Amino acid sequence: MRWGMVIDLKRCIGCYGCQLACKAENGTPPGVFYARVLKQEEGQYPTVRQLALPVLCNHCEDPPCVSACPTGASFKWEEDGIVDIDHDLCVGCRACMMACPYNNRYFNDQPQHYFPQGMTPYEEARTERHPQDVVMKCNFCRDRVRAGKAPACVANCPTVARIFGDLDDPMSEVSRLIKERGGFPLHPELDTKPSVYYLPP
Amino acid sequence: MTDISAKYERLIQDLRQDFRPQREWGEGRGVFLVVGHFLVGVAAGAWLFGLIFSYLPGLIVGFVLAGAGGIAHLAFLGRPERFWKMARHVRTSWIARGFIGLSLFLVGAALYLAPLVLPNWLWDAASVLAWVAWAMAAAGMVTLIGYMGFVYTASKGIPFWNSTLHPVLYMAYALRGGAAALLVEMALLGVPDGDVVATLLKIWIAVTAVVMLLFTLEIQGALTSGNAAARRSVFEMFAGRVAIYFYGGTLLVGLIVPLILVSGALAPLGVAILAAIGLFSALGDFFMKFATIRAGVYLPLRARPVRGR
Repeated sequence: MRWGMVIDLKRCIGCYGCQLACKAENGTPPGVFYARVLKQEEGQYPTVRQLALPVLCNHCEDPPCVSACPTGASFKWEEDGIVDIDHDLCVGCRACMMACPYNNRYFNDQPQHYFPQGMTPYEEARTERHPQDVVMKCNFCRDRVRAGKAPACVANCPTVARIFGDLDDPMSEVSRLIKERGGFPLHPELDTKPSVYYLPP
Repeated sequence: MTDISAKYERLIQDLRQDFRPQREWGEGRGVFLVVGHFLVGVAAGAWLFGLIFSYLPGLIVGFVLAGAGGIAHLAFLGRPERFWKMARHVRTSWIARGFIGLSLFLVGAALYLAPLVLPNWLWDAASVLAWVAWAMAAAGMVTLIGYMGFVYTASKGIPFWNSTLHPVLYMAYALRGGAAALLVEMALLGVPDGDVVATLLKIWIAVTAVVMLLFTLEIQGALTSGNAAARRSVFEMFAGRVAIYFYGGTLLVGLIVPLILVSGALAPLGVAILAAIGLFSALGDFFMKFATIRAGVYLPLRARPVRGR
């Protein structure tokens, strides 16, 4: 099994719902975005359009971050292909951040909170999950996935632009969409074999 | 605005850019990584030339600089107390290989130097243990000279560093740094033999020429066959946010001034001039590494390839 995601760029309206859902689910501190939405302009006047490109960890089949990590803190789960971080092993060398071609890793190097009054009880509860001075990244909401739910960004997408499923199963919806609609990954030339595909806008 | 919120705002600005600059290596605590790489490179070069010229102070300085480089590396880490875990993934990680190399070098060099420096030490300089230590230090030295460039080449997210020439360039920098360190030492501590200094100076000139050639080739490669991010890094280095370090540090301090001094145009080659050549050369090497690292920008994320700069 290899979990993967397909993001339909035609359906994505750039509402940042995935980004917020991810924040709410994972309680990441300010400056850490497991999921984010890039807004890009395409074309030349007068035929210009704005494109929303949601990005997240690509959970590559051949992840350069895992190869670069000196401690083995960055690793790939054999049973489902999700690339994860063991925070107890991370030394904070940030080699994985330099190795990731999708720059979706963040270094949590100081205590941060969203409001000037200090941490809310919600933030305090969530901070426990995020040790300081280590690298952080998306893990496809692995706890949710193991419980039979979709990742938070998928579950909360109002336009159903994100589809989650097994890339190894040729009958799965993700495999079918990639095949039928010409799904493409980001930077295929790097041969990292990402598990996140995009459907053309 | 507090430091934390300023940093946050800068990150948000960075994330909005097509070419997001890398700031983790080379800014803030990241400077310690540049210092560490610089010191370790010079240390390995100094050890090599110390062995070649049988110059004990060169070996001692190599050992001391490697120790200082190791401390700088620790200061860079987010969790330095876990440093020993860096030996776990040596099969694929160049940082792990560098850690093993530095550890081998420090242990081997300490065991090798002990009988040479301390009279009546527990073992003799010609003993088997000393030979084993010599071999450990040599293996560590080779690793240190070689690994750094590969750390950058393995960084797929920063196309400017992805050049196959990068490891060779870092090897050349280690040799140039080692020659510079010995020039300073020989100027300050006295010269064992007049020919040694002349030979070392020739080596420094030759290695400097190689460094210039490799650097030119690397830039040319980035501009002609590199992608938009690699070209953007070249722009950052020559005309962008790190241009001051490149022109002031690398070119002026590290190249033009030492070459003027070597030419004898300012003053005849004496002790002070030799020391100045070595110091300026080493400073230039530091700024070269600093500028190269700071010029790195991440590969842009686009649904379609980016054209031009």
